[in-house]
Amino acid sequence: MTATDVQATGVPRTRPATPSRPKRRREGAAWVFLSPWVLGATVLTLLPMAVSLYLSFTDYDLFNPPHWVGLRNYTQMFTEDPRYWRSVVATLTYVVIAVPLQLALALVVALVLKSVRRAKGFYRSAFYAPSLLGASMSIALVWRAIFNDGGTVDHLLGTGGWVTRPGWALLAVALLTVWQFGAPMVIFLAGLQQIPGELYEAAEVDGASRWRQFLSITVPMLSPVIFFNLVLQTIQSFQVFTPAFAVSAGKGGPADSTLFYTLYLYDRGFVASHMGYASAMAWVLLLVIGAVTAVLFRTSRSWVFYASDTDGGAR
Amino acid sequence: MPGNRTRVSCSVAVVLALCSALSGCGGTDDGGSGGKVVLRYTWWGNPDRAARTEKAIALFEKRHPGIRVQTSFSGYDAYKQKLATQAAGGDAPDVMQLDYRMIDQYASGGVLLDLGTQKAALGTGEIDAGLLATGRVNGKQYAIPQGRGTETMVYDVKEWKSSGVALPREGWTWSQWADAMRQLAKRTGKPGGTDPGQSEDAFEVWLRGRGKSLYTKDRKLGFTADDLTRWWTFTDKLRREGAVSPAEQTTQLDGSVENTPLGRGKAVSDVNWDAPASGFLALVPDGVALAPMPSGEDGTPGQYFKPSMFMGVSAHTSHPKEAAELIDFMINDPGAGTILGAARGIPVNESLRDKLAPALKDFDRTISDYQSSLEGDLKAPPQAPPSGDNALQTTFQRDYDQVSYERMSPREAAKNYITEAKAELRS
Repeated sequence: MTATDVQATGVPRTRPATPSRPKRRREGAAWVFLSPWVLGATVLTLLPMAVSLYLSFTDYDLFNPPHWVGLRNYTQMFTEDPRYWRSVVATLTYVVIAVPLQLALALVVALVLKSVRRAKGFYRSAFYAPSLLGASMSIALVWRAIFNDGGTVDHLLGTGGWVTRPGWALLAVALLTVWQFGAPMVIFLAGLQQIPGELYEAAEVDGASRWRQFLSITVPMLSPVIFFNLVLQTIQSFQVFTPAFAVSAGKGGPADSTLFYTLYLYDRGFVASHMGYASAMAWVLLLVIGAVTAVLFRTSRSWVFYASDTDGGAR
Repeated sequence: MPGNRTRVSCSVAVVLALCSALSGCGGTDDGGSGGKVVLRYTWWGNPDRAARTEKAIALFEKRHPGIRVQTSFSGYDAYKQKLATQAAGGDAPDVMQLDYRMIDQYASGGVLLDLGTQKAALGTGEIDAGLLATGRVNGKQYAIPQGRGTETMVYDVKEWKSSGVALPREGWTWSQWADAMRQLAKRTGKPGGTDPGQSEDAFEVWLRGRGKSLYTKDRKLGFTADDLTRWWTFTDKLRREGAVSPAEQTTQLDGSVENTPLGRGKAVSDVNWDAPASGFLALVPDGVALAPMPSGEDGTPGQYFKPSMFMGVSAHTSHPKEAAELIDFMINDPGAGTILGAARGIPVNESLRDKLAPALKDFDRTISDYQSSLEGDLKAPPQAPPSGDNALQTTFQRDYDQVSYERMSPREAAKNYITEAKAELRS
């Protein structure tokens, strides 16, 4: 910061003539310490993003140098590619099924676990475990085996293989995600423990039923946490890849029923070698996720209740 | 002041240390090889091929004490995707197994080394000139064919025989094949074979039987939506009748014999390439036999001898000579020939083929006899498919999924395919 800058902000110069030298040095040290992160963020995130934005306007096929094609990838995506729209529909269907189910299950289990007194730690870890395991490919493969033609579910329920039927495959993948409700559950649990017990005691005295208490105390008090989980899970669900990739052997089948957006993006980029098209798809996804998140934030004003709103910021 | 300087230089030192620690993790792999040249060699295949390859590589390392070969393999679909990613990143393995469909794309993309520069280490004199030419792009030899293969209808011998249905014979037609599938389904209670509608390879055989081809000489589609509609209507009808495998089975096909209906014990036959058919021996307890593919209704044969797979060298390899030596060994060495047998198709080295043929054992013998029975009857192979075809193979299967799950009519799906294929081939 130079002397003129300081003057420009209207701050009177009260310091000696060389005020910035030690400060500048300390800043330098900070930058040096930050450099691994700055380097990582630049080289591994910002630069690739810039490159991918550039590639989205080219017909890069991985082997030959990219050619500028302007908006062709984008127009092709929206007007000439039925498979693109199938992937959009599959992804939206998945988000609409998986997110509410997962959050509802996480909340129910959190409510139950909150009142568990004995072997607390055991139950909590037991319910959290699937989320830790779930990140791995192997669980998705086991899932595929269970829901496959001739698999466990077929034997038990006689419903045939779910992952080999277009109408059921998406549900099988959604169930895999729902089952991994551990992370939102832990956050719900923490949120539940923040609700003051007096509120329930007062409600009890007034003769409110359990259900009434849940609707009038738990839900509003927990709404910031519900909102947080909703935003996080929605963003994650839009980007679902691993379970669908493993369950459908990378094909998004049967009959494109689990052709999620990211799966199709991968297919265009790495199977069909249309990296430009894949990059364009990635940028559209980024914009859509941004828009959906913005909409969620907008609606949150009408249903998310922050204690500080009524306390006048007393806390 | 001195204090400040120390602090800055200290932090610089910390950062440098971190950087070197990080780069240390990605160190070269020369460390454990004792100064030997290390070659990476990747291929696709089944466990049977893996066992034979490892044995052959051990012999190669014995003959070339200065070279160590790191091998890795996977199924075809996974291999195709991994190799594309590696190649794009400039990190293709030193020696790689390639498919007919990959050569054009990889050669024109600068991934492959011109093997004409390695003539001293790699002899090709014993390979049929026509076959050798299939590895050439724009006059340069980018890949060496490693074996000769052809398509076959492989079937469960015991099941077919005990059903009483007449055995397949050379020169049978697609309608005779369809009748056999129907009868087998009726008498054995399971579909006669895999639904061939999903396979671009099977479609090609059918198409050639009608005097057409997948691609024209100038790299355009050699068939129309009408042709494809006719093929898919034919297979879809058989599927509806239960004569060939249902959609739930067909959709699980991924190039491995384990996931075919025949491999799962859910059908009597399968349409496949002859070399990988050896994998069925471990899955079908009573053994399998090979039958020729059906011909066109006027007797025109559709199948052809195809280079089953190729070996190529990365353009970025630091050891071109050693890589060429490895290919030379795999193709021309009698010891390697004995070990590898027909695991990658019948050997391309002709004197080796003549020498080995009588000594071939078990299923290798079956493949060899099957190919001999076809020699002289088949038409010349088409030229190597254009670049876009690599992705179209998957597209073909996916589009047929829409038919077999009854989400689209054969005509709609065929129109879709033609549109997508034209888009792919333009690039």
